[in-house]
Amino acid sequence: MVLGAAAGPASPADFIAAREQMAFTLGFHIILASIGIGLPALTVLAEWRWLRTGDPSYRELARRWAKATGVLFAVGAVSGTVLSFEMGTLWPRFMDTYGQVFGAGFAMEGIAFFIEAIFIGIYLYGWDRLPPRVHLLTGIPIAVAGIASAFFVVTVNAWMNQPRGFRLDAHGRVTDVDPLAAMFNPATPVQATHLILAALMVCGFIVASVYAVPLLRGRGERYHRLGFAIPFTTAAVVAPIQVIVGDWASRFVSERQPIKFAAMEGVDHTQAGVPFRFAFLEIPNGLSLLLRFDPHATIRGLDSWPAGVRPPAEIVQTSFEIMIAIGMALLGLAVWWAYTWWRHHRHGARWSPWFLRAATLAGVAAAIAMEAGWTTTEVGRQPWIVYGVMRTVDAVNPSPGLRYGLYVVLVVYAVLGAVTIGVLRRMRRPSHQAGALKVDEKITAGGAGR
Amino acid sequence: MSYADVAVALILVGLSAYLLFGGADFGAGLWHLLARRAAEKDVIEHAMGPVWEANHVWLIFVMVMTWTAFPPVFAGIMTAYWVPLSLAALGIVIRGSAFAFMKIEHGFKIEHRRRYRWAFGVSSVVTPYALGAVAGTIAAGDRHWLSPPGAYAGLLTVGLCAYLAAVYLTWDARRLSPNAATAERFRSYALGTGAVVGALALPGSIVLGVRSPLIGLSALAGLVSLVLLWRRAYLAVRLSAALAAGSVLWGAAVLSDLDLDAAAAHDAVLRVIFVALGVGGIFLLPALAWLYVLFQREAGSHEDRARAR
Repeated sequence: MVLGAAAGPASPADFIAAREQMAFTLGFHIILASIGIGLPALTVLAEWRWLRTGDPSYRELARRWAKATGVLFAVGAVSGTVLSFEMGTLWPRFMDTYGQVFGAGFAMEGIAFFIEAIFIGIYLYGWDRLPPRVHLLTGIPIAVAGIASAFFVVTVNAWMNQPRGFRLDAHGRVTDVDPLAAMFNPATPVQATHLILAALMVCGFIVASVYAVPLLRGRGERYHRLGFAIPFTTAAVVAPIQVIVGDWASRFVSERQPIKFAAMEGVDHTQAGVPFRFAFLEIPNGLSLLLRFDPHATIRGLDSWPAGVRPPAEIVQTSFEIMIAIGMALLGLAVWWAYTWWRHHRHGARWSPWFLRAATLAGVAAAIAMEAGWTTTEVGRQPWIVYGVMRTVDAVNPSPGLRYGLYVVLVVYAVLGAVTIGVLRRMRRPSHQAGALKVDEKITAGGAGR
Repeated sequence: MSYADVAVALILVGLSAYLLFGGADFGAGLWHLLARRAAEKDVIEHAMGPVWEANHVWLIFVMVMTWTAFPPVFAGIMTAYWVPLSLAALGIVIRGSAFAFMKIEHGFKIEHRRRYRWAFGVSSVVTPYALGAVAGTIAAGDRHWLSPPGAYAGLLTVGLCAYLAAVYLTWDARRLSPNAATAERFRSYALGTGAVVGALALPGSIVLGVRSPLIGLSALAGLVSLVLLWRRAYLAVRLSAALAAGSVLWGAAVLSDLDLDAAAAHDAVLRVIFVALGVGGIFLLPALAWLYVLFQREAGSHEDRARAR
């Protein structure tokens, strides 16, 4: 049961495969988790509006979103389970040494997830078994527990960036463990806020983009307009807050993980008056001014660290720039939405087709920004799995053959992703709307075949 | 009683709950594949629908408790058995997604079952087999999950899941299906698997050297279950069958005799976990009870019941 003394991967290919498998499965899960955080809240909102106004469009939206939540929560729950397994099968040495330090966050996440799973069952299957108001209330724990799970999980990732709450003894074993200090490490507030807001944006823009398509084609029924407006407004309100939080995050990284910041901004050499570079753009002294409010401030460059502790800077910088570019574009879209809304209410103007075209892309764009941001923080931490304390290469499972696991996972997830999208697309069919709800109601109301 | 003992007890409680609830859902997947009649598949889908997500979380609970409370044990098991455990994880992904897709496509006018039947059924067998094989190999102190004890434990786990599922579904069929013959069929599945699993479990435990009164308890509960099934006491047999299956798991735990104290996390960690579980339990346990009661009640909308009153 005790791990052998030999550290390190069986082969470089297995090590790369382990990292790719973790990145791929996490990247898959993060989108589903984002929807799992946001969609229950949107569903409850629509159901509440229905109860308040009696407008059947709200009822239809709540029903549809609840069904989509059912599918996406299921896929999200099982893809999250894979991550729990991978913590051990891919990174056993990380878990062996530090599992107890950050474990409390996961334990609390487990409790929140349990509450989510229980109320998902009650909410999805309880439409006809519970009085309307009680049913509405059972949706609230799902939304709250979803945000709580996200928070608890991010405490662990924040800890990997800012490890606290332990000391290492002469044998490299942890002592003086303080699990709460580990959970509430300096990176937790900013990372958790940034991620939860990002999840709301991803969910809001993705759901809205589904309804932008029929609106563009002129099938602008009230149902579609509300289906667009509720999630898009949610995401649009979050977008400007996210820009401020993003600024907070960059400043935090520049202070606490300056090497990651240097990689993000492409600062190769330590110098004063660093220009702000973005793709082909260059503003002299811009970065120094942005970061320190002083155009001549000195920023530490990558070359001031030994080569062995530098992250792969190109990946970090590119993904960071993608995230910033999309974030700014989404902010612009949010402003455009506010203007569209104002013109609609003031002058009865129709929503511009160009706005809807842009909105169609917003969902995918937000998901890409999420992945890019995640890549920035994860790749930017390399070569460390625990920043400054444990290298990723020392954490990996030493068993040979990990790469075959990656191949199997790639195939299964490709099929899973395709089928999930196919099922969701079929859910939009009008035939489903007309015929299927009846079938379904019979079942939830009366048990099998009654 | 040290903190480590409490943690072990909690992990065992979680494992038992996972076997008795999540395991039954795996067994239901096997019956879904084997059953010929649509009425039986209907019962399985309706019985599992609201509860399988919650039943699944017991596994997460066990894993998180193990890696937090006994990190070296978790790391050692995961390193040594990463192949069967990865198989189990993939089985969990396929099983859960296939079930969710099948449920949602029930609303479409296409043949929803044909698409997912095999994915759902096969993954519902692979996962408990792989998990059981790992547990059995560890309990017997063997090296490889493909060894005879591993294969035996894998098969036994699949059998236990199928047995529990058949027992639970007999009551669900009586509750949900308009056709009385459906419950009768699940009853015959339960009687059959009960006899087979009993015949598999008893000699096996003796060969593997389990010396514990738990064997007697399991055998007794198994016999009582067969009698209760015969007499159609479908609610009571749920308890006795759960006891029979649970005591097999506890017997394996006694056999494994893992030295966990040396691997335990610091008391400060365990204290935080226990407090979190205590606070969480205040919300969680009543909610869980409500979930089961709500969907075990006679089906019917709240309006129907209001009218009936």
